[in-house]
Amino acid sequence: MPLINMPEFSGTLLDEFAARGTARIDTPVIQPAAPFLDMAGEDLRRRIFLTESETGESLCLRPEFTIPVCLRHIENATGTPRRYCYLGEVFRQRREGDNEFYQAGIEDLGETATANADARAVNDAMQILHNLIPGRKLNVTLGDQAVFEAVVRALGLPGGWQKRLIQSFGNNAHLRHLLMTLASPQAETGLSPELAALLNQDEAALIAHIDRTMQETGYSTNASRSPREIAARLKEKQSLAQTRLDGSALVLLTEFLSLELPLSQAPAALAGFADAAGLAMGAALVAFEARAAALADLGVDLDKVTYRAAFGRPLDYYTGLVFEVSRDNAVLAGGGRFDRLMTLLGAAEDIPAVGFSLWLDRIEQARAR
Amino acid sequence: MSTITIALPSKGRMKEDASAIFERAGLPIVAVGNERSYRGKVEGHDDIEIAFLSASEIAREIGAGTVDFGVTGEDLIREGLIDADAKMEVAARLGFGHADVVVAVPEIWLDVDTMADLGDVAADFRSRHGRRLQIATKYWRLTQQHFSGSHGIQLYRIVESLGATEGAPAAGQADIIVDITSTGSTLKANNLKILSDGVILKSEACLVRARKAEHEGDARIAAIVEAVRKAV
Repeated sequence: MPLINMPEFSGTLLDEFAARGTARIDTPVIQPAAPFLDMAGEDLRRRIFLTESETGESLCLRPEFTIPVCLRHIENATGTPRRYCYLGEVFRQRREGDNEFYQAGIEDLGETATANADARAVNDAMQILHNLIPGRKLNVTLGDQAVFEAVVRALGLPGGWQKRLIQSFGNNAHLRHLLMTLASPQAETGLSPELAALLNQDEAALIAHIDRTMQETGYSTNASRSPREIAARLKEKQSLAQTRLDGSALVLLTEFLSLELPLSQAPAALAGFADAAGLAMGAALVAFEARAAALADLGVDLDKVTYRAAFGRPLDYYTGLVFEVSRDNAVLAGGGRFDRLMTLLGAAEDIPAVGFSLWLDRIEQARAR
Repeated sequence: MSTITIALPSKGRMKEDASAIFERAGLPIVAVGNERSYRGKVEGHDDIEIAFLSASEIAREIGAGTVDFGVTGEDLIREGLIDADAKMEVAARLGFGHADVVVAVPEIWLDVDTMADLGDVAADFRSRHGRRLQIATKYWRLTQQHFSGSHGIQLYRIVESLGATEGAPAAGQADIIVDITSTGSTLKANNLKILSDGVILKSEACLVRARKAEHEGDARIAAIVEAVRKAV
């Protein structure tokens, strides 16, 4: 049955949020759909409740809180840093579970001491869950987009391949497919010999050719991609097609992705991996270690937190930390760092952001057991 | 004995071709009342009823199980029904109404030949152009399945297009299209090319059967399928 009333522990939860110096923010249940589809992709369309206003605007029932909270922050222009909390209903078409359920969480916007902010988000989620479900064992898993990106960059692949791999981080099936492609010979670019010659000898002439063709076909007026952009990507594609990941790099990448160990051992293991592989991963490792240290300072037992190298979310606004707190295979809290989201949503300047959300229906079930 | 309902296209070539197949199958269709009536029957089979419907409604009625059979394009079935294979069975491919649902991009995108290329372009699109890559189509579901499901491409937006979709890139309404093509000549005329792995579905007119429990052991159902298959 759908959750009609607020979960009975809502009051406790709001007290927890208040004690952490957060300001509660409310957002309308009916939201413009475009920001969600823009950020999460068209795939979301099947999972949200969409409707249309009389004027043709796409509207949806709030499928989550992060985007509305961030939009509200930009709209209010109240400055940073700010810590917001929310508690309310979200609506999603789910194969299992109800279509409407409660979520609550904290969004921490504009805190530039990122290691501390990361650690605080993880610690807050863990503490709140411990208080709501006392005496039960919770599994905490942590991943880091930035560490994966550092490994990919250090391997020295062409830019195009780096982007492909980074884009698919978190989507393991797709990532495996890419690694297989990298390991095997590539198809040619499929250009006519004349154009291939231009590409290699005279890029300006190639751009002129593309431009002329666009003019002749009447495409140029509304062309989204310019002749220069197309020519530049042809170059990139040529280098992609000629790239094969050598055996050792492939082994390294696979080895990295299989890392799973207690967070207490992870900084040393990552440093060891980088040394043995001869990869320069400096800044990402420093940030990783600083976060682990900040977590320890907050009293988190790093032996009880698992670092899994392949854990990520395939959305392009996640930039660093991702984490999950679960019990009996049910995810009770999920969070991460999304430094790219605020500017994507229209903020005038970069605003670092980290947050988490709690699945109140699952927490309620875990409490009842 | 219950009546069997067959939904046929209500107009155009599809209607004529479907009628011809049923004629050859020994199930000649006659309109009830006058020629333009939307009800029909099969001569000599009082227990079969014909409903003339628009092609896209046929998909919906099959999904709802309000008709037993339908003749329509596979593209409309797969686009119109969630879990299509659980709701219907393609009983026969009829050999007409051939059309492919394809991903087509401007010919001058010399760097884009495959879905992987398109994925690269889509990934960068927002940072270069301040918006997601836009796809004009009326095939929302097929597009999502192909892009997200088969090729891991998430970063695009669908722009609904109900007609003249091939013109959308030149008109600036979208960057690329997903549309149906039979000969490719309209794509060519609009300076679009099909990606090498951009054929989402090879569609043709099909006799589809709604999966209904009462069809089990009904000899008339099997006989209709058998007769139509032989007539193709």
